[in-house]
Amino acid sequence: MAEELANPPCLIVADPDVLIRNGLAEYLRHCGYKVFEAATSDEVIIALEEGATSFRAMLVDAELSGELNAFELRIWVRGHYPGVDVILAGNVDRAAKAAGHLCDDGPHLQRPYDPESVVAHIKRLLAATRR
Amino acid sequence: MGAKTILLVEDEFIIRFTLADFLRDIGYHVLEAGDGREGLDILNSGQSIDLMVTDVHMPGGVDGIELAEHSKMLVPGRPVVVCSAHMSISECYPADEFHSKPYILPALAALIESLIGDPWQKSSQTHLA
Repeated sequence: MAEELANPPCLIVADPDVLIRNGLAEYLRHCGYKVFEAATSDEVIIALEEGATSFRAMLVDAELSGELNAFELRIWVRGHYPGVDVILAGNVDRAAKAAGHLCDDGPHLQRPYDPESVVAHIKRLLAATRR
Repeated sequence: MGAKTILLVEDEFIIRFTLADFLRDIGYHVLEAGDGREGLDILNSGQSIDLMVTDVHMPGGVDGIELAEHSKMLVPGRPVVVCSAHMSISECYPADEFHSKPYILPALAALIESLIGDPWQKSSQTHLA
């Protein structure tokens, strides 16, 4: 645990919507992870190939765009980085739930706050931008 | 009181991550945007932001100068630092400061601290709710 806190495990959050991506990444940072935020599958691949770090998992929106779609990306990651779990989520509620599970396995011993509050926060921000 | 928040807008993914990671390590709370449109979304979301650092030339139709103008329209007193390899501060109105690229992390950190203080110093900035 001490080693994890000094050198936190890395995750990737890949979502085309910056407010969802920020919200999920922020939550996972509070859980003790180092988090790369990617907007496209191209950025995910750059992170894996040039990030100079090893990743434990990635949380990927099912509608992620880029040269590879989310499903193609999962196949590519399994082939090139079999140690990295790819978690696909179809909406923000499921993504937050998955983030909660990642948090349970994370470097910190307890969740900083409930994943449902992440969803509520993200939905408030999205509503503000669409007024 | 939480740490001061910086909105960082940079389209080069690895550079953005490196900058954000550095700023988090020295204590700031960092919101990342990958282009000008994402920067606008974050500014318009009403989150409390103490300072914006933005690249100038980015894909997506909104450049760093337009983003600086929008930030100043929303919160006139919020400092903006623009970063470019090809411009000078005189070309970057209404930005408050200019950082020449490539990024020099300690210099950028010192510039940020000169504008908003250290990460935990109480802010006089008025934020959106």
